[in-house]
Order: sequence, then C-alpha cells, then structure tokens
Amino acid sequence: MGEVTALNPVLRVAQALQEPKVVTEKRDAAWKLYESLEVPRLEKTDLRRVTWDVGEFEATGAEVPEDVASYVQGIEHSCALVVDGVVREIRLSDEAQAKGVVLVSIHDACTTHAEVWNRHFGAIVPADDSKWAALNMALFAGGVFVHVPRGAELEHPIEVVYVWTGRPFSACSRSLVVTEPLARLRYAETTFAKGGERFVNSHVLEVFASQASSIQVATADEWRKGGMHFVTRRAKTENDAEVDWVVADTSDGQAVELVESELAGQGSRSFTRVMGLGHGRAHVEITASMRHVGRHTESEISMHGALRDRANVIFRSRTQIEKGAVGAGSEQHDRMIMVDGTARADAIPMLLIDENDVERCGHAASVGKIDPLQVYYLMSRGIPQSTAVQMIIWGYLRDTVEALPSDAMRQIVVSRVERELAR
Amino acid sequence: MSKPDFVIRNLHVQVEGKEILKGVDLHIRGGEIHAIMGPNGTGKSTLASAIMGHPHYEVTEGEIWLDGQNVLEMSVDERARAGLFLAMQYPAEVPGVSNANFIRTALNARRGEGNEIPVLQFHRRLVQKMKELSIDPSFAERYLNEGFSGGEKKRNEILQMAMLEPRIAILDEIDSGLDIDALKIVANGVNQLRSDNIGFLIITHYQRLLNYIVPDVVHVMMQGRIVKSGDAKLAEELEAKGYDWLKQELGIEDETVEVEA
Repeated sequence: MGEVTALNPVLRVAQALQEPKVVTEKRDAAWKLYESLEVPRLEKTDLRRVTWDVGEFEATGAEVPEDVASYVQGIEHSCALVVDGVVREIRLSDEAQAKGVVLVSIHDACTTHAEVWNRHFGAIVPADDSKWAALNMALFAGGVFVHVPRGAELEHPIEVVYVWTGRPFSACSRSLVVTEPLARLRYAETTFAKGGERFVNSHVLEVFASQASSIQVATADEWRKGGMHFVTRRAKTENDAEVDWVVADTSDGQAVELVESELAGQGSRSFTRVMGLGHGRAHVEITASMRHVGRHTESEISMHGALRDRANVIFRSRTQIEKGAVGAGSEQHDRMIMVDGTARADAIPMLLIDENDVERCGHAASVGKIDPLQVYYLMSRGIPQSTAVQMIIWGYLRDTVEALPSDAMRQIVVSRVERELAR
Repeated sequence: MSKPDFVIRNLHVQVEGKEILKGVDLHIRGGEIHAIMGPNGTGKSTLASAIMGHPHYEVTEGEIWLDGQNVLEMSVDERARAGLFLAMQYPAEVPGVSNANFIRTALNARRGEGNEIPVLQFHRRLVQKMKELSIDPSFAERYLNEGFSGGEKKRNEILQMAMLEPRIAILDEIDSGLDIDALKIVANGVNQLRSDNIGFLIITHYQRLLNYIVPDVVHVMMQGRIVKSGDAKLAEELEAKGYDWLKQELGIEDETVEVEA
C-alpha cells in the first residue's frame, strides 16, 4: 500500500506534533477504524464522489490570511487562532486568568491537564461515532482545551478562530470544552475555510457541562467550496446543566454538520438556534439533534434558512426521547425561505420517542417563498422592492445573529450575509 | 408646496378575473376629507388596494392621477414616494424587522439619498408621535405588527401615516375592531394631521368614526360604483335609516359585487 517513502498519515501528524505515545496509540486505533468503515449512505448527501484523500500533513508554512489577521487583532476577549492544524496564538483575558480558566492547545492539555483530558477526550464524540469522527481522532491537529473551574462565571466569551487555507491535506481540528459545576461560559468558534483542493476535512467539538453549569456555544462557519467538510459538535449535560447552541452558517461548499446535545442529566436543558444562508452551489446538510436521556429534560430547536442561487440546503431537526426520560419536553421549528434562483430546501423534522410519559413534543416545519404580501406592505411605505426583500430576509435571520456573543462575531456574520444578499 | 390633487376617472378593477369596480370617479384635493361608506362587499376595500397597487388587483380601465403624475404607471413603492399612503385593514406581520427600523427606512426612502433624517431627530419625532397616539414606547423596538392586537395594528398604521406625512392618505376600515377609546385616539391622530397639505379618503362601514372625523364629502358605494354623494349629513342619515332606503330609492336589490369581507 502506498509508496515506500510516504509516511503513514498518523505518523506524519504524530511526529509533527511530538505528542505522548498514548495519544498516538489512540490515533492508530482510530485510523484502523476509519479505514475499515464503509462510506455511509446519507439520505440527502451523496458521499460517493468524496475522495477520502487525506494528503500529507505539514505543521509549518501556513500564512495567516489578511482578513483573518485583522479579525483576530480586533478581538478583545480571550481567543485562540488555529491555522491549518497548528495553534498559532492563545490570548487569555485578565478576567479569565483571575477566575482560573484554562485555555491551552488540545495537544498540550493531554499532559498539562491529563486528568480532565483523559476523562472527556473522545468520550463525547468517540472515534466510532462515524467514519469522519474516526478520521478526526486519527489525524486531529489544532484545537483548544477549555476548562472553567467550579463556580467561575465568565462575563466575556472565549473565541477560537479556525482557519483552513486550503493546503493539500485534511484539516482535522478538534477542541474540548469542560465546565465544572455552577460555572458559566460562552464559547465561540469562528471558521474561515478557504476554497481549496478536494480533501476531506473533519472538525470535532466536544463539550461537557457539569452539574448546574451553563454554556453557550456559538459558531460562525463558512465552508467554502472545494473540500468536503464534516462537522461534529456535541455537548453532554449533567444534572441541571444548560447548553445553548447558536449556529450561523453561510457556507457555499459541501458540508455535513451535526449539532447535538445529549441531555444526560436530570433537569438539564438545551436550546439550539440555527441560521443558514445557502448560496452559490452550496450543498449543506445541518442536523440539529437533541437526545433526551435524563428525566425532566427540556429542549428546543429553531432553524431558519434562506437560500439563493443553486444552493441545496437540508435542515434536519431531530429529537430523540429515550426510554426513561420521563417528563421530557421538546419543541422544534424549521422555517426556510427561497429567495431566488433554483435553490432546493429540505426541512426535515424528526421525533423519535421511546418514552410514554412525555411532557410535550411539538414540531413545525415549512419551506416557502418570501411572502409577497410582506413585500407589498413594505413597498407600500416607499421602500424599494430589493430593499424590502433584504429586510424580510434579515428579519428572518436576525434573532440568531443577535444571539452571537460578541460584536466582532456579529459583524463578521452580518458582513457575510450582506455580501450575499446585496448581489 | 402646492395642494395635493388626486383624481380617479372611470376606474375598473378585476380580482381573479371578476370585475369588482365598475367605473369609479373621485376627486380629492388637499385639505378635504372624503368618506366612502357602504355595506360589505360593495368594492370599498378593492378601491383602496387598487389605488396602492396591491398585486392581486388588476386595473382594466380608467385613470388615477396624483399631482399630475400617472399613478397607474408607478410601482407600489413609487406610489408611496409620490405621496400615497394606505392604512391597511390587515397589515402584514414582518418578524425580525423592528417598527422603528421599518419606519426610518420608509421615511428615508421617501426623502431620498443624501437627505436622510438624522437618527436622533428621527427618534425624537417617533417618540413624540407615539405619545400622541398612546402607543407604548416599547413598540418602537417590537417586530413589525408581530403579536400586535387588532387595535395596536390600527394605531401603528396611523403612527406610520403621521411619520411619513403623505399627500393623500387612505384609511381602510381603520375603525373596525376598535373600542371607543382607541377610536378617539385614532381620530385624534387624523385630525392633528389635517391641513391643506393632505387629503383623506376614509373607508368605513359605520358612521361612528365620522362623529370624530367630520368629512367634507360622503360617498356611498354599491355594486362597484359610487351611487350617491353628499355632505356629512348623508352619513348621519345612513346611520339613522340604514342602507335599505337608499337601495329602494336607487332601485338596487343586491348591492354587493364580491364575496369578500
């Protein structure tokens, strides 16, 4: 198999990062799993043409693109910059330092914070979760470890900026966020993914919310055309914990994304809101998922999508109530509007209920064009049609954008959306 | 600025292939208040929607002129910028668009690029007008008509009218669903705007509103035409005697042309 001179992809990454042997062993096992797993058949995304090519990882040589550099410079809260699998910069605010918050690279954390790292790393998104989760575990490079001690409440967010410059190897960033009991954190991931060659990329985020802690996870993604992007973000809650997701996606590439809360602890809650603007020839499949395991757990999913051009966007909201999740309650709302072009939208609500004693479980899904009577109403006050249409779409996406945790993040999402709406 | 001059000649309008208006003539000048009364289904609201350019209404014959400009050649937004305003019976709800942002965008569209109203000045004016219309200040940041009660929507229409200062304002059943206090507030809002710079067309079922906004001319609409015009006394007569005497006088059996409310 392969040329004699080529290193095994796992060895390339492991050597470049000079990590402990125990981690390389995890990688090896995951790589074997990755190679043995069949390409799954997804209902809405054809994976047959994915090359599954991982290229040859290189830890040096990536330039930080100018737009990214100026974005990162403008961030005032704690942040980290990850470029093509290498952590380039970590800044921890005075506030976070004073409160004992840890923000280090995911690679360093396995020695510096071994106890927490060992407990959670790969426990929330294990290698056998999917072929791309196995790929990530085998080749993960770049990402952070965030730890918030008991009772610490962070006022300002921690933001990680991931950059994929499109170099010829798979990007497999991976981060782990852990809050101890009663802690409070807002964690954000902003991605700049340039178009590039057709490699398969896999990003993983694991979030663990200990008892009565609260985490908001906000993401601003833009997967550009070129690679095949897999994204697996999952949180697990202990008793009375809360995890809220705010997902803003403006991709025009190929992406299969999962945002999931596993409501393990009694009385834990999760609210996921997703805003998507599909444009160009995007093929983006986002599944927002809630798995109710604990008693009296509550969840809500709200997904709003707007589509232009020849985009194909699939929004799936999935609520699973396991046997024993007595008194669980959930709501789902999916709404997608077609702005113009020959876009295709799928809004798929799914309810999988194995428990008889459920508090409430509602869902609503719709796909449609912009309401001509809304446009007429705005125009009847003198607003030109194109402005009216933009206002209506913005109105539709606004709630999610406003829930993002920082001005910088809101601005970047606003500029990404405006760039596409103003065309 | 010269007085507004609004002329409708022989207007015929179809909805889904059915002729609803069968030749309406009207002439409204600045400073005048015209009321159109009539039973349900006689074409009153069709007239209002057709003037504004609602996409479901097709003008098949006739003319509409505002200050010498051909209204029928204008798009909906151009009509508004030329000075037409329609306070709608069922205004659309637009989630995510705040009332204040909407009104400011509309006002600036009317004023034109380079002549935008300064933000502070806008807010001072908005707050003042909201106070006059007894609208809670929180409504400035509420999403446009979303979750508003019927009465709140009506007051919000009047607020927009007060902010945009149109040359011809059409009020389509602004009184329906209003209790007496809300009715007085709305009427007061209209009366405050009264001047030579604005003409009104008030569409209503009932004479009740006309106790508070005294019209100069009252028209009665039946079968898609104006069948009788008079002064404010005509409205009182209709209130006292109903429409039947008029139908008898005109030899009309079925006054309606449409099934809609």
